[in-house]
Amino acid sequence: MAAVHLINRAVATFGNNCQRVCRNVSFTQVREKKRWMRAYTRIMALKLKLEGPPKPTPRSHQPNWDYHAEVQAFGIRLNEDFLPDLLKSAFVNPCYVQAEQERRRALGVDSEATALTLKDNIQLSKSGADFTKSFLSDWCRASFPNMPAEGVESIVGHLSNPPVVTNVAKNLGVEDLTMSGTFPAPDHVLQSTFMAVIGALLESSSSQRAGLFLRDFMVTQLIGKDLFDMWPVVNPMGLLVEELTKRNIPLPEPRLIRSAGASTVLPLYFVGLYSDKKLLAQGPGETLAVAEEEAARVALRKLFGYTENRRPDDFSPQQHQQPMIESVSSN
Amino acid sequence: MTSRGTTSRFLKSVLQNGVGRYVCQLKRVSILFSKKNQGSLGVRDFIEDGIVDYAKKNPGTVVYVSPQPARVPKIVAEYLNGNVKEEIITNKTSLEISQLMTKLTNQSGLDIIRIRKPFHTDSPSIQGLWHPFTNRPPAIDPIMPRP
Repeated sequence: MAAVHLINRAVATFGNNCQRVCRNVSFTQVREKKRWMRAYTRIMALKLKLEGPPKPTPRSHQPNWDYHAEVQAFGIRLNEDFLPDLLKSAFVNPCYVQAEQERRRALGVDSEATALTLKDNIQLSKSGADFTKSFLSDWCRASFPNMPAEGVESIVGHLSNPPVVTNVAKNLGVEDLTMSGTFPAPDHVLQSTFMAVIGALLESSSSQRAGLFLRDFMVTQLIGKDLFDMWPVVNPMGLLVEELTKRNIPLPEPRLIRSAGASTVLPLYFVGLYSDKKLLAQGPGETLAVAEEEAARVALRKLFGYTENRRPDDFSPQQHQQPMIESVSSN
Repeated sequence: MTSRGTTSRFLKSVLQNGVGRYVCQLKRVSILFSKKNQGSLGVRDFIEDGIVDYAKKNPGTVVYVSPQPARVPKIVAEYLNGNVKEEIITNKTSLEISQLMTKLTNQSGLDIIRIRKPFHTDSPSIQGLWHPFTNRPPAIDPIMPRP
């Protein structure tokens, strides 16, 4: 037993010596506790603490990336027919072209021999943004016929705001394909890229398809949104009076209809707005002023047809198939 | 640990997916495997018989097949919301891998954690929230707020 142990020791020391001499780890690997591991992990942890986490790399610089296939899959995934070249140029931002030119100049590449022939997306972005604005305001006017122009404007403004558009663009996979001068791509770049994608769809398909695209991906962001989150009205009572005079309805008369716990720390008042002895709306509040304002907001929502319990908007996909059926029957 | 202490979320979909049109949320899938290793045998079988059919059936998903000296074969699935999911497929048969790919394709990419309620609605109440004054006729007598 002892002899075997001795031989084992000898073999182990021989292995260690060998490692020192020839430094071939795979050949003389020793199975034991890895005593270098603790020092190594400590250094790595210290390095992480000093330098911070490594910078994120764009997906296009990581392994397994085929730009052409990605762009093709982008169109198919969204169930739209894009012209591939048009879609590719929609992803090229002017800041990318500028950065690329500077990079080439720094590398000393002859600009005439290898010219940079990249078309940027300024035109597409502009046409897409214009179309988006006109489509969204048309849609709002059609869905809420009683809404005044200011309300429509603020709803459209909310939908074409950078946070909403960027969120949609990120969740549709635009971020990976965007060619931007800096990484991660800033919000305004993502927004203009998404608008350029809409512009490309407008050119490669029809305005009807682009409208459906906007309806399916932008207008659905309105679901569950309150009107006055998008439209900051400071004086709802003034607006209500204005709207009622426009419609020749007698002016509202606020009345306290219910109250509870008035002497406690949690008082509750219900104010009803009467017009011509008919209840327009009622709203709760902790003070009379707050309750009156709330009642005015409720009345405005009812007047504009943007109540929480209105009939849901029609997003049915049947309209997609209609042109297909027509084309089949025409053939 | 009780279920209350675990991370949870409400039922939701990415970008109201399915309200307008359905978009397959799996944008990219890469299969990493070894050409020689025994654990990758099923993956090699799957690549021989199943992968082309899968790619044809899902044109919106980009499929990458990358043979590399890897001991552990993996499927790396990337979703539209930016989540990346790795599935280890050592010693799995071709059929099991194909089922796994179908599962990954149908998922939304959101974290798989406890869901607080198995239902969701965007219009919580059609009649309005109940409060103690619901369905009571408004008072006829004048109500004065007490000082």
